[in-house]
Amino acid sequence: MKQLTQRKGRYMLELPLHLMLIPGILVTLVYSYGPMFGIIMAFQKFEPAMGFFKSKWVGWKNFEYIFRLPDFQQVIWNTFFISVMKICLGLAVPLILALLLNELIRGWFARFVQTTIFMPFFLSWAVLGGIMIELFSIKGPINSVVSAFGFEPIMFMAEKNWFVAIVVASDVWKGMGYNMIIFLAAIMGINANLYEAAEVDGAGKWRQMLHVTLPGMMPIIVLLCTLSLGSVLSAGFDQILVLYNPIVYETGDVIDTFVYRLGLFEQQYAPAAAIGLFKAGISVVLVSISYYLAYRLSNYRIF
Amino acid sequence: MKRTLLSFIVIMFISSIVLAACSQKQQEPEPPKESSDANQEQAEDPASFDPLGKYETPVTITQVLSYRPPEEQDALKGVTPETNAYLKDLKEMMNIDLKYLWSVPMDQYAEKFSLSIASGDLPDMMMVDQATFLNFVRQGLVADLSEVYENYASPTLKRVIESDGGLALQATTVDGKVMGLTTSFQSAVQLAYIRADWLKNLNLPVPKTMEEFEAVAEAFVKNDPDMNGENDTYGFAMNKNFLVGAWAFDARGIFYSHQSYPGGWIKGQDGTLLPGEIQPGTKEALTKLQDWYKRGIIDREFALKDENKVSEDIVAGRVGITLGEWWVPNWPLNLSKDNNPNAEWIAVPLPEVGGESAKTLISPTLNAIMVVNKKYKQPEVAVKLANYYLEMRKPKYIDKSSPDYKGADSGYIYNWFEPRFIYPNYLDDAFIAVNEALDKGQTDIQIPEDFLAAGEAAQFFNESKKFMDNKKDNAAWGFYYSRVAKEGGFGLSKKALDDKQFIQNEFYGTQTPTQLERGGSLNKLMAETFTKIVMGEDIDQFDKFVESWKTLGGNDITDEVNEWYKGK
Repeated sequence: MKQLTQRKGRYMLELPLHLMLIPGILVTLVYSYGPMFGIIMAFQKFEPAMGFFKSKWVGWKNFEYIFRLPDFQQVIWNTFFISVMKICLGLAVPLILALLLNELIRGWFARFVQTTIFMPFFLSWAVLGGIMIELFSIKGPINSVVSAFGFEPIMFMAEKNWFVAIVVASDVWKGMGYNMIIFLAAIMGINANLYEAAEVDGAGKWRQMLHVTLPGMMPIIVLLCTLSLGSVLSAGFDQILVLYNPIVYETGDVIDTFVYRLGLFEQQYAPAAAIGLFKAGISVVLVSISYYLAYRLSNYRIF
Repeated sequence: MKRTLLSFIVIMFISSIVLAACSQKQQEPEPPKESSDANQEQAEDPASFDPLGKYETPVTITQVLSYRPPEEQDALKGVTPETNAYLKDLKEMMNIDLKYLWSVPMDQYAEKFSLSIASGDLPDMMMVDQATFLNFVRQGLVADLSEVYENYASPTLKRVIESDGGLALQATTVDGKVMGLTTSFQSAVQLAYIRADWLKNLNLPVPKTMEEFEAVAEAFVKNDPDMNGENDTYGFAMNKNFLVGAWAFDARGIFYSHQSYPGGWIKGQDGTLLPGEIQPGTKEALTKLQDWYKRGIIDREFALKDENKVSEDIVAGRVGITLGEWWVPNWPLNLSKDNNPNAEWIAVPLPEVGGESAKTLISPTLNAIMVVNKKYKQPEVAVKLANYYLEMRKPKYIDKSSPDYKGADSGYIYNWFEPRFIYPNYLDDAFIAVNEALDKGQTDIQIPEDFLAAGEAAQFFNESKKFMDNKKDNAAWGFYYSRVAKEGGFGLSKKALDDKQFIQNEFYGTQTPTQLERGGSLNKLMAETFTKIVMGEDIDQFDKFVESWKTLGGNDITDEVNEWYKGK
């Protein structure tokens, strides 16, 4: 009996919180679930004037069509490669930064470094892209350094391998502050007693990091790692759009930029929708796998 | 406890990532639909077909707009498309409210309009290209304008549209119904513009052949033509869109010089049509460009620069030669003279190869086509807008010395107003009339009101006078040298056209099915391969490109185009 009233009391207590969810749910329904209706386009010979209801149904034709397109496989591979590189480095670099920052004496300097590293996260690629093209241009500052060391200036943005390297590196640089904060939070969560015990056992800073800090962070690392699996087919549309050019299509053209050109400039709406759906399908599978892995490996679950 | 807090933070972070990822795909909320139903109740008395008549009660028509900055340098500051004085006068004169559902800078228009089509959210009146026009007609999206054209088009509008002998009207007539209105596009040939002051500094003659061009361009790179003691110039300006979809500062002319016409369909010896991009001349042109690139004549970073970036180089005085059509003096060469008072530009024909003068590829095309949304109840309003614009182009309104002058300095920005029907021969007619007046030494130009290029002729004459009175007026020079000077942009272009120095693109049908499917990929392949070859990749890559081009759909396109050609 007592338990029941307690439960009821708790329910009343949480009711306002649940009500506060409603706007969010509505927005998600209207803007995320509503447009999903457009998926139907991927199976039609879509004619804007006819709309979804009257356009001719063609089944899997659009999918056959996109797989026949000569660039499609290349584009998938580019996307995969760029995003895997981004995911790996996007986890490793912030991890190292967090570990280093953790060793810094707490105080204004640590906070200053932390903020500075986080800052680029707020810049938009539209702005950053222009700056980067200038930075890496043949007469730009980076090439001045290169020539100062006696090398020939390099056309970074027009060389297919450099281009990918720059895309990955700049993305890691821009986003590293974000994951670093998560890692720092994880380090904070480690029981201080463990460090004391380690010290008593004669472990130095290095040993402490290897045997206390890293194992303590492991669940978070595994979690972030597996969850980012879901975005393997998104290699960063806005970034690549502002940076790429025809010479680096071979390595730099990704699914999203491809869909963008196909759908908006060639007005092939239906095939573009088919690629989008194909990508979404693979992402759902990957997200499910990663969710399962996250559950198995670090006991993480949302639902 | 700490652990729960931590996982809470993590969940918040993760879910914000997930949400952000989801929301990226969303389309922008659609702009509120302007209702055109309000106009429905307004039925005009059919007896009064007044082309410029004023409506009793206000009528609204919606448009979408792609805009550029005003061309006039004296344009009133702070004017926006919505406050354009043309709209204010339109309201006063005819009681029409012109509303823009949206307006975007020109480079974003294609994307935005494409989205509008996909979402079915189209304005009442639109300007579209030929492919879109045919699509719209096929899908039954646009209104039949036969009757309103017959009844409401002003005599001037009819003369402007039909001055090409009815070709444009024929092109927009489907099954006997006029589904859209437009005029023929008057093609221009490509020219080379050269820094004459640099030629003088280095004591070089005006180049004519490819060898001479090359020598000049190389001297412009190596011999410090601007005499500032620095190695900061290059010979030949080129932007990354140097062939496909190029419109200025490109290399089309070099291909033309080598009798190569990428993007065009040229009649071969056996009478069939051949695709220009895979002919042997293309390889020669690429070899030439590759050589120029190797020798530093072309900017090493051309592949990263678009037209605007290259125009900045031209203005900054880093460029010796650039290719372009007649209007280049009007932008950006005039700005280059503003920036550097010593800069002198001359126009010359494209370089000759093997004693043959270069012929520009000309495709018979139409200007943008005006169509009216089928849902719009008063299609005659669109025709009346066209009447209105031509009325406003009468000499008394655009002649600066006239008391009724309505110019950019009081907020009349002509290039924001749609529809602007362009009389196809306006440049020719004005060129002849103005040169006649100038040759006779007249102080002002007398043009009959019904001369179709009257407004332009008056304007050209005034700007020419302005330039002759003050040789330092660079804006007036740009105007004069592009449109009036006999040795200038249009002068040379007209001469080449009159002498039949051009190659006709024989294919002007709508895109064939394979072009629609593979055109994008093939153009991408071409842009990629050609850019790489220019930047130093083995020229034999061209032969590989030809093979891929053929197997990836090029052969099918060739068959389809020839099928069309036979059935023409």
